[in-house]
Amino acid sequence: MTPASDDGREPTAAPDVFAADESVGRDLRLVDWSATPLGPPAGWPQSLRTAVSILLSSRFSMWMAWGPQLTFFCNDAYRRDTLGQKYPWALGRPAGEVWAEIWDDIGPRINSVLSVGESTWDEALLLFLKRSGYPEETYHTFSYSPLRDDDGRVVGMLCVVSEDTERIIGERRMATLRDLGSDPSVVRTEEEILAFAGDQLGRNPQDLPFTVTYLFGDDERAHLAGTTGISPQHPAVPATLTVGDPAGVWPTAAPARGESVLVNLDGAPFTGLPAGGWPQPPTRALVVPLPRQGGTPYGFLVAALNRYRPLDEGYRGFVELVAGHVAAGIASARSYQAQQRRAEELAELDRAKTAFFSNISHEFRTPLTLIMGPVEELRRRLTDADERTREELEAIGRNGLRLSNLVNSLLDFVRIEADRMQARYEPVDLAAVTAELASVFRSAFDRAGLAFEVDCPSLDKPVYLDRGMWEKVILNLLSNALKFTFDGSVRVSVRPDDAHAVVTVEDTGVGVPAEEVSRLFERFHRVESARSRSNEGSGIGLALVKELVDLHGGTITARSTEGEGTAFTICLPFGAAHLPAESPAWATGSAAVSTTADPYLQEALRWLPADDAGAPVTDPAEGTRSPSASPVRVLIADDNTDMREYLSRLLTDAGYRVQAVNDGQAALESALAAAPDLVISDVMMPRLDGLSLVGALRADPRTASVPVLLLSARAGQEASIEGLRAGADDYLVKPFSAAELLARVRTKVELARLRGHHARWRTALLESLQEAFFVCDETGAVIEINAAFTEILGYGVDGLPYRPVFPWWPDPAIDPEAHRQAADAFAAMLDRRQGTYTVPATHRDGHRLWISVNGNQAQDPDTGRRVVVGTFRDVTAEHYFIQRESALAALSTRLSRASSQTDALIGALAELKDLWRARRVLAALFSQGDEPTLTSTDLSLSWHDLPAQHRHALGDLRHRPPLTPITDHTGAGIVLDHPDGPLTLWIELGDLRPFTSEDELLLALLAGHLAQGLARAHQIDQQRETAIALQRAILGPSRLPDGFAVRYEPATRPLEVGGDWYDIVDLPDGRIGIVVGDCVGHGLKSATVMGQLRSACRALLLQDSKPAQTLMALDHFAAQLPHAIHTTVFCGVLDPATGHLTYSSAGHPPGILAHPDGGHHLLEGGRSLPLAVRPGRIRPEAEHTIPARGTLLLYTDGLVERRKRPLDVGIDQAGEVVQEGRGLSLDELATRIMTRMAPAGGYDDDVALLLYRHPAPLRMAFPAESSQLAPVRQALRTWLAQCRLPVLTQQSVLIAAGEACANAIEHGHRDTPGDTVRLHAEVLVDDLWLTVADTGSWKTPQPRPDSNRGHGTDLMRAMMQRVTITSSPEGTTVDMHTRIADDHPA
Amino acid sequence: MTTPLDLTPGRRPDGTALLTVAGEIDMSNTAALADAVTAALRGTAGLLVLDLTAVDYLDSAGLAVLFDHAERIEVITGPLLAPVLTISGLTGLVTVHNTEPKKPHTT
Repeated sequence: MTPASDDGREPTAAPDVFAADESVGRDLRLVDWSATPLGPPAGWPQSLRTAVSILLSSRFSMWMAWGPQLTFFCNDAYRRDTLGQKYPWALGRPAGEVWAEIWDDIGPRINSVLSVGESTWDEALLLFLKRSGYPEETYHTFSYSPLRDDDGRVVGMLCVVSEDTERIIGERRMATLRDLGSDPSVVRTEEEILAFAGDQLGRNPQDLPFTVTYLFGDDERAHLAGTTGISPQHPAVPATLTVGDPAGVWPTAAPARGESVLVNLDGAPFTGLPAGGWPQPPTRALVVPLPRQGGTPYGFLVAALNRYRPLDEGYRGFVELVAGHVAAGIASARSYQAQQRRAEELAELDRAKTAFFSNISHEFRTPLTLIMGPVEELRRRLTDADERTREELEAIGRNGLRLSNLVNSLLDFVRIEADRMQARYEPVDLAAVTAELASVFRSAFDRAGLAFEVDCPSLDKPVYLDRGMWEKVILNLLSNALKFTFDGSVRVSVRPDDAHAVVTVEDTGVGVPAEEVSRLFERFHRVESARSRSNEGSGIGLALVKELVDLHGGTITARSTEGEGTAFTICLPFGAAHLPAESPAWATGSAAVSTTADPYLQEALRWLPADDAGAPVTDPAEGTRSPSASPVRVLIADDNTDMREYLSRLLTDAGYRVQAVNDGQAALESALAAAPDLVISDVMMPRLDGLSLVGALRADPRTASVPVLLLSARAGQEASIEGLRAGADDYLVKPFSAAELLARVRTKVELARLRGHHARWRTALLESLQEAFFVCDETGAVIEINAAFTEILGYGVDGLPYRPVFPWWPDPAIDPEAHRQAADAFAAMLDRRQGTYTVPATHRDGHRLWISVNGNQAQDPDTGRRVVVGTFRDVTAEHYFIQRESALAALSTRLSRASSQTDALIGALAELKDLWRARRVLAALFSQGDEPTLTSTDLSLSWHDLPAQHRHALGDLRHRPPLTPITDHTGAGIVLDHPDGPLTLWIELGDLRPFTSEDELLLALLAGHLAQGLARAHQIDQQRETAIALQRAILGPSRLPDGFAVRYEPATRPLEVGGDWYDIVDLPDGRIGIVVGDCVGHGLKSATVMGQLRSACRALLLQDSKPAQTLMALDHFAAQLPHAIHTTVFCGVLDPATGHLTYSSAGHPPGILAHPDGGHHLLEGGRSLPLAVRPGRIRPEAEHTIPARGTLLLYTDGLVERRKRPLDVGIDQAGEVVQEGRGLSLDELATRIMTRMAPAGGYDDDVALLLYRHPAPLRMAFPAESSQLAPVRQALRTWLAQCRLPVLTQQSVLIAAGEACANAIEHGHRDTPGDTVRLHAEVLVDDLWLTVADTGSWKTPQPRPDSNRGHGTDLMRAMMQRVTITSSPEGTTVDMHTRIADDHPA
Repeated sequence: MTTPLDLTPGRRPDGTALLTVAGEIDMSNTAALADAVTAALRGTAGLLVLDLTAVDYLDSAGLAVLFDHAERIEVITGPLLAPVLTISGLTGLVTVHNTEPKKPHTT
């Protein structure tokens, strides 16, 4: 169709109707209007003429329809943006014919406008336009408003429209890419990854009507791995494809090579394809490889294409990004699989360790059993043996039981702490079980003469118990009651109470002081003051009871009154709801009271007198037992020989073995060499008197508890007090009777024996403890230790006493921090009454271990001095376990915060450095060749700075299996898989720092974790690039006018599009509109608001090039638009010829103008409220002329706003950066600003930035003809004047440029005159750059005969400071540069 | 099309041949300049004075014309062209008289 002017008639319209637009007006004039219902334009009513003229003069896209057939008119913008190939055919035709394909959509709207006379508003309406030869998916935001004739009747409509196609489709594709990247879980299997990707792709049936994913196998075939939008049974989806088979449904060879292929979907097997989100099935599909870093692709993705959109660069890019995402997911899954295998190996190692420990526990019990069995056997066989043998067998048996009891309890603790106590809960009748256990103890209570009351009526609900544990609870409590009760009764009762069963064990014993009640359940805490049947006891019984009750979900409390008794109350919940769900299956059946009870009872019975002893024992101190066969050693010190001999004879006759010395010093030496059972000493003696001897004996731990009987001639209370105060046990005034002496001696000896018995028991107990035990005196010296102490630290009793600084403290020279920890903990322990500290220590053989020390202050019962009693455990394994867990947690945190791969790696290295307190940590990434990328905790370090030895170590490492650490005397290294190639790590340790096998395990774990983290960060990097690319697609113009540079940076985290924008609009009068704005918030919603405001602002500026008016109109628009309120906008109109800028700011941060002579100032005029806050209010406008070589910076607040910092500090900083970058090209300056202003962790808000430098660079292209020289020169002269250069500089530049252009014309285009020559001139603050380029090649100038005469290139060199001429087959380029001298501008 | 150039032949008060040139001289119009110089020289046996005071621009093609006739010309010029004449070496062969600028070229 052609416009209706083929009859050759002259245009009939009065020329003024169509005068507003030259080109559309010309075509409108050619329409045969008389053939339309409107008739010739001369007869048109005024209303129609006005409407047409408004339409044509508007630069905003519009069309209108008038009259009974709705005759179609449009303006130039509509022709360009929307009408496409339908122009000029559409002019003058009925609108229904012009838009036949969408009349179903728009017809009803137009009818409603015509009938009701009200405007319509449609936002982003989908319309299939046939403007490019095929139905095209397009989106338009438009309003139809009625047009009235001269009588006010509605006779037509006007449509104002802006097209949103790019934005809508861009957002849709971005949403898909974002969703693809939104997988919250770090690790997944390949299947899960593909399923997740499939879910996401399936949600965009518009851009991806269907997809099919194939993965290459090891068998030269591609296997179907997933589909979206199409059934896997469809003939177009074979399960496998042979790679390279040309007859296959899909091409495989090209994607295997990494190439994409476009496939036409016609004929079999492509019949009956699904249509996705469209009415018709797709006609083409793009087959894209799933790229693998440095290898053959994983497979390929078949993406069916939207037939309603062209396959342009954006669409192709989108499909490739989708494939990239899927490939990254597969890469991560496969890497995870590899890591998983490694982790399983590590777990196997851990299981082996656990097995080892439980074996050890068995090793403990086995020998004990092998002792106990034969002892029992011997006891049966040797019933006729002599009493001594039987007693000793008894002793072995009792102590064997005790020891196994203790071992069991300690192992219980270990198990509880390691969470490995495997409870077997079964529903039991608590009352019956408890009564049965109590009955075991009845005989013991009977023998002790105590009433024993068991009050356990049956409960109606069962309680879930582990029988073994419950036995320990009850037996411990009963033996405790027996131990501390001397008369009265013990009572056990069970009662129900709501949801609980309450078990009470109550005695009328000695009780404990109120302040001690709370500490009863503390481990190793013993109530020292209590009178008891036995001083034996580990102090762990009640602590174990509490742990066991806790395991049952119950509670235990104690109530006690000193002198009246103690009651323990246990509450156990009924039912099983409180127990861990994964507990082993409920056991059934109930065994009788197990053998657990036996040792408890045996031990308890031993506290009681034998059956034939008769009278009850009231005080263990008086429990006299016949002196044993071993003779008692008595040391006599007296300077009087007669007295010495008398005493010796007296005591020898009484059966004592006597040693006599004649002064205190000799006595002390003898006693220290071998402690006697008793010392009898005169008070008055030479060298060392009796009182000093007592003091000296008490001062030494070896003799502190040896009883001393002082003899003195001095009578009287004071003397004896003095002696006793010195620490003597008794005091005898001469003369004394032999009977009195012997009685006193016997009492002391028996007392000491008893004490010695306790001491031996104490020693046996301490030695049997798995925990190390030690006692410190007042000065902090360690004066007593047990075997476990030596076992753990390597220091034995032979070295006692150990004084601080202790040899097991870490060497302050090697590890000052560890030394300080140990010293601080020790000081705190001496200072406070009690506490638990976990500190590093060094074993005698040098290895590092960690111990958990528990200290208590106590009074030495013998000397009355303050001592510290402590125990500790080797918690090295736990320590490293915790360290491992926290290191993993810390690393995870670092990795999750990282916003890029580099960031992740740097963070991880810092973490490793801290963890091992390493000198530094190096990471070398070998992506290609032997020259890796180095990352180090020492940021300034480069690969070449490293000593060759390190370079080799890092290089060699990559050939080792991944995640297998190696160590040498300088440190440790490991290699891990990085998405770009092997990454080797080296931890450089300080001198002598050992790297243990624990450290190696930890390093392997962390490296595995890091590998996963890096793979994920790699993915994030890719997603980020995608997001930025897409945001930029939505953002401002793709082609910038000269003189501008722009940047957009999304917030680092979360990865979001934002609401910031910039826009640069070429206005009809040659001026340029500049807009920078900031919508509130992030995300697609604010990006959408941004897109609409940007379009509106652009349209308004085109219509009316006044910033204030534009913003006022935008106020009204924003008030209608949800979420647009509070948007800030800087809107300016710039005259590029003069640098004159008119502007208005809606609450936006001020522009920064940097002057060529240094210094900057802010564009603070024209300021008013953000958008839509007060629509209708007049906005101010300001103006400013940008000086030549001045630079204008506009930005959004993300660039300058930081927490806890005033805004103007950031603005000043930005001003300084612009000022410092005066010598940079505009683009370099933009990059510099974005880099220099970025906070350490990246921008936390999105940032838009716009730079303009005045004047804009001059860019010209002209045909290579000499006639062009004068106009080019004129343009350059005008531009140079705009630059305000000194006049002679201008002339020099002019001549140099002229010569270059003349050369280009003369030499370059001898053969092809008329080819294009390009000139580019750019001015920085102090420099001017000029480039002249052509497409020809210059001849080397022939030396002319009169070579002293100037010719072109000589002149150029003379006029400019630097001239570079580059010639290539493609053409010749002359680059020239001159500094701008600071003399007088013209 | 060539760059406009005004060439006005004349005589100085002392009878010396004079060619006053106004405009810009570049490769598009050097032929015209060369013709005018040749014509002017044909009409005199003595020196030709070229007054370039009103020339705003002179490139190497224009200089080549001056060099070709160096032995028979003298040049009058303003400060704008003086550097080009010096740098090209013309001042070594031809007497050059400098004058004050007649009109400022730029604003």
